[in-house]
Amino acid sequence: MSTLEELKQLIHKTFDIDAATLKADAPLEEYGLDSLSLAELLFAIEEHFNVDLPDSRSGVNTLAGLAALIDDLRTPKAA
Amino acid sequence: MRRRVVVTGIGLISPHGDSPGAVFDALMAGRSAVARWSSGGAPPALAARAAFDSTHWFTRLQLAGVDRVSQIAVAAAELARADAGLDALDERSGIYVGTGMGGAAAIDEAFARYAESGRVPPLTVPAFMPNAPAAHIAMRAKVHGPVLTYSIACASSAVAIAEAAKAVALGEVERVLAGGSEALLVPGAIRAWQALQTLASPESEDPSRACRPFAADRTGLVLGEGAAFLLLEPFEAAKARGARVYAEFAGSGVSCDATHLTKPDVAGQVRALVAALRASGLSPADIGYCNAHGTATRAGDVVECEALAQVWGDAIGALAVSSTKSMHGHLLGAAGALEAAITVLALERRSLPPNMHCGPQDPACRVALVQEPHAEAPQLRAAISNSFAFGGTNAVLAFRRCD
Repeated sequence: MSTLEELKQLIHKTFDIDAATLKADAPLEEYGLDSLSLAELLFAIEEHFNVDLPDSRSGVNTLAGLAALIDDLRTPKAA
Repeated sequence: MRRRVVVTGIGLISPHGDSPGAVFDALMAGRSAVARWSSGGAPPALAARAAFDSTHWFTRLQLAGVDRVSQIAVAAAELARADAGLDALDERSGIYVGTGMGGAAAIDEAFARYAESGRVPPLTVPAFMPNAPAAHIAMRAKVHGPVLTYSIACASSAVAIAEAAKAVALGEVERVLAGGSEALLVPGAIRAWQALQTLASPESEDPSRACRPFAADRTGLVLGEGAAFLLLEPFEAAKARGARVYAEFAGSGVSCDATHLTKPDVAGQVRALVAALRASGLSPADIGYCNAHGTATRAGDVVECEALAQVWGDAIGALAVSSTKSMHGHLLGAAGALEAAITVLALERRSLPPNMHCGPQDPACRVALVQEPHAEAPQLRAAISNSFAFGGTNAVLAFRRCD
């Protein structure tokens, strides 16, 4: 499963939003997420993907953006 | 000039259900909602849980950061508003909420996760803050007036109702949702209560009979959960819109023992009882029923009976007393509101809910208990509800029939 698809399933599990309605490039506010529910989602992402999201996520407010960020964080860095 | 204040709506999420009529019927029949409670490796306990289907009131997205204590508060407040026949509230309305602990489930989960992984869910603070229930009710009902929270342990919601009624009487607000919410049936909170050595023995063969207020063999209180709200408005406004009036809020008395953090005090309770009578213009002979604080602790029940005896004097035998905690448990911060609702329904129906599970009565508790289910009181005109808190605050609410 792609990270994007996994993310959609996670949002469905967390907020009961139909995964089929989630678009990769739409701002998350469009689905009714506010600053509080977004904070909860980011926590759920960290738990699910075992990543530590950076405090500054400027510009990342779409699923595609989040998926790219997660993939980046999960890529082993060269020493 | 003070306006007369009446109760025109009741909303409940309680151990006996969410319909005020059905809840009162169950209590009149003497049905207990106390059952065994267990969770994980926690020691056995008894509790009166309130059935609640959050999906009926919230989407999953709306539930982000909303603790159970706020969920049931929103539901009970909405039910009270609807029961009063009101479609909406406005900027001249207020919300007065009592809660003892706030979001216990959020705290419990946060501490458990912290111990396990060091990570704490990000919405822990907005979920557990004690004024969250009031804020959620305000957002749901679009109330822009005073939205206030009272945290006074077991007197929280009684004081909230007293303060709300005062604000309506003085013309500060036109309509209020006043009540309380408590939801602390989570392992950490229950263990804290167990550690305090105040809970009824879980060894009882029949858990439903574990809470025995005023009984010689009582062993302590049983924790309950739930939310209860009253819609209060001026008598004239209720009459003008043709609203059903359950009862009139007659007055209240609040005092503090200022003697001990947890040990109740006769003199302090007497001051609250006398103040409630004075504020309501009622004499002891006018009061036909007392919904007692009666938690079924060894010390508390005796002190309450002594306080009632001091104020009522020779007339104490004519005061019918019951602790409905014998059936719904102790809702702590929401207890005063649930018991105020029960007292109001007792007046409306002229029926007295029983003090269940009291076999031989403690000789040190010399009050006339309502011993049997289905007691009628055709002459009942006024009643009081007692709430006495850890911290020493005592609150007595007085209601009278409106006819």
